[in-house]
Amino acid sequence: MMKRFTAALIATILALTSQVLAATDNHTRFPALQTETGKLTIYSTTDLAAMKPLIDDFQRTAPGISIDYIEYLTNELHALASEACRKDEPLGDLLLSSSVDQLLKLANDGCAASHTSPETLRVADWANWRDEVFGFTYEPAVFVYNTRKVPPAEVPRTHVELADLLRERLDYYRGHVGTYDIRLSGIGYLLAFNDARQTNTVFGRLLESMARASAVARCCTGEILEEVASGRLYIGYNMLGSYAYDAARRHPDLRVVVPRDYTLVLSRGALIPKSAERSDLGAQFLDYLLSERGQSIARSNAFYFSETGGLPPDVDGPQNLKESGIAQPIRIGPGLLAVQDWAQRQRFIEDWSRSLIELNSPEWTRE
Amino acid sequence: MQHEPSLFARLARRISLVLGIGAAILVSAAWYYAETAADKAYDRLLVGAALQMAESLSVERGALSARLPTSAFELLGLAERDRIFYRVIDTNGKTVTGYDDLQNPAPPDGARDAVSISEGIYKGEAVRIARATRVLADPSVTGHAYVVVAQTNEARSALTRELTLRATILVVVMSFLAFAGAMLAIRYALQPVERLGAAVRRRDPHDLTPVSVGVPRELDPFVSSINHFMGRLNERVDLLQRFIADAAHQIRTPLTALSAQIDLLGHDKLDKTGRQHFERVQQRTGELARLTNQLLSHAMVIHRADSIQLEPISLVDVARRAYRAAIPITVDPDIVISFEAPDDRPFVLGDAVSLREAIVNVIDNALRHGTDQRLEVRVRSDALDAYVEVEDDGPGIPPEGWEKATQRFATSKSHEGSSGLGFAIAQEVVNAHGGTLGFRARDEKSFTVILTLPLHKGPAK
Repeated sequence: MMKRFTAALIATILALTSQVLAATDNHTRFPALQTETGKLTIYSTTDLAAMKPLIDDFQRTAPGISIDYIEYLTNELHALASEACRKDEPLGDLLLSSSVDQLLKLANDGCAASHTSPETLRVADWANWRDEVFGFTYEPAVFVYNTRKVPPAEVPRTHVELADLLRERLDYYRGHVGTYDIRLSGIGYLLAFNDARQTNTVFGRLLESMARASAVARCCTGEILEEVASGRLYIGYNMLGSYAYDAARRHPDLRVVVPRDYTLVLSRGALIPKSAERSDLGAQFLDYLLSERGQSIARSNAFYFSETGGLPPDVDGPQNLKESGIAQPIRIGPGLLAVQDWAQRQRFIEDWSRSLIELNSPEWTRE
Repeated sequence: MQHEPSLFARLARRISLVLGIGAAILVSAAWYYAETAADKAYDRLLVGAALQMAESLSVERGALSARLPTSAFELLGLAERDRIFYRVIDTNGKTVTGYDDLQNPAPPDGARDAVSISEGIYKGEAVRIARATRVLADPSVTGHAYVVVAQTNEARSALTRELTLRATILVVVMSFLAFAGAMLAIRYALQPVERLGAAVRRRDPHDLTPVSVGVPRELDPFVSSINHFMGRLNERVDLLQRFIADAAHQIRTPLTALSAQIDLLGHDKLDKTGRQHFERVQQRTGELARLTNQLLSHAMVIHRADSIQLEPISLVDVARRAYRAAIPITVDPDIVISFEAPDDRPFVLGDAVSLREAIVNVIDNALRHGTDQRLEVRVRSDALDAYVEVEDDGPGIPPEGWEKATQRFATSKSHEGSSGLGFAIAQEVVNAHGGTLGFRARDEKSFTVILTLPLHKGPAK
């Protein structure tokens, strides 16, 4: 009872803050190129910079549609969407989130509308659940490092190498390794959880090494990439490939490593809410995202990696992720419900915090 | 006659009805089994997942804690499109994790199984619910903890549909095969009926012998009824013929006496009117005698046709004998009469007596009604047939009357003393020999009656 109350309270607070935010800087409007025939509202956790080329190109195919693009953190968006679903209130025409586990939970709770089209048929099995949640990107979880700080001989290429490196050069890397704060970031939690599932021992060792090395935890990819680029951090762990590669293109010192033992691959999810007012427009944009054209724009301008093509240039990694069997896509399916189980989440985050944070609490600052 | 639907249609209707009902029953059964099978299959997933989850329960620091294994969800995820709801309930009935509004179905009374399965509704959808019970005996936590796992029914329904559809296709195909097979079998089985019908239809109207077509046992009563009926009819006809023959025979004796009496009477003693009456009586008596003879000869011909074994005979000999018999000594000497026969003496398979009777009748007919100055009797033959032609120079019968001429008592010349039986007898005989009776009129002064008989190719007797 208490729990439900708390959840409702959090949701209300989030809703309130989000409304305040909505009025301020997380809301971007793309006016229609021609006379407006419809307004599409997208709620997203994806950075606008990555989505902008796609939105612009979409508007070229559908010039009559104006787009409201509203950004949230993953957890905020999830709380908002759950609330809207419970009350059966409309919340946008399309939800985009890198935390597919949250989208899956929404779909499982019956908050999603099903959509099939020739484009959705092209989606890989692992990236489609019930024709309700679709993965539209292919983003490996990568390491990043600063070439000025990490000598070529020390560049870690597997999870074990990273763990060993942190242990052997503890003093050098202490306080200079960054990763997600899984308490704040849904993606961070999802990646960490799947890391733990992949190889419990390696993950344990890595976590331990990172704890000893006083790894810093940040809420968002952007912050860590920023710090690695500037040289304050030397190595970033479990960064989303698209952001990392985008940063690497802008900062010559930043390099991307796709791990060679296993690489988690995350697919950003898209979901059309059941209560959407213009679900047709949501579906149209979704179809565009999944289409050949949308995928090719995404590959060249937004997310860089793709399931079928090779790695983008200047990325240190295996030749072909998919065929080498290194890629471990996070399947969009009921397995994610276990990730979403709140008891599970609580315990996992507790364990993680105890390992990573408590050992070096003086070093840890939330910022 | 009231028109009854055909046997084929009746059988087809009933068989298709039976097959249709059978197919419906089979499809229902298939659906039932498919549903059971789908439930069984997916219940295993559900139970497996519930047990895995129950297994993951543990007591940590005096409280129940659940480390729900991802594999349990992935197991449930094998039903690809189904939504999953779960709830872990501790010994105090409080929700540890999961959907806390998911119902906790009470198992049926007395059931204390580790796992129970039931149906329910959650979030407006029909779900299958599995409840796993875990007995905890930790000092701090004692009692029953439950894991409730619910799953929507999409995969089950899909599997049920697919299985049912396949079974239905099989049943439908099978039904059609069975129906087609049955139809073929019925057609085949009804063939003897057709055959029997054809045999009866093809029969010569005079043939009253028993039907000898081979038929299945089921048709035996029918055939014996036909045969019994024909036997009775035959007896009847025989009786009638015998009666006619007897009557003719009986009449002949007094008639002969009558003729003699009339001859004795003499017409010299009569006056002119009396003489006229006398001559008419004489003439009528002659006609009566002739009719009686013809009736007798007709009866004889029919009798012989039924009973006499045909044998090869020389048509020339028969025709010559007939010619001699038919031409009376008292014939008008002004008439030129001739008989023409080929040297090769054609043989036919026949009854000499009947044939002679037939030819006599034809010649007699020609003499009485046709001949003016000339009568020719010819026998000739070609590769297949032998012919007896009787030609005269009378007016003959106009073509439109030819068909009628061969019917009994159907002549147009009864006033001239014709009984009309002559051609009928000839026709009867020729038909009995497998031949035909025909006419040919060349001009005003030539009319020919032709008896055509199939040539006998075998050795002469």
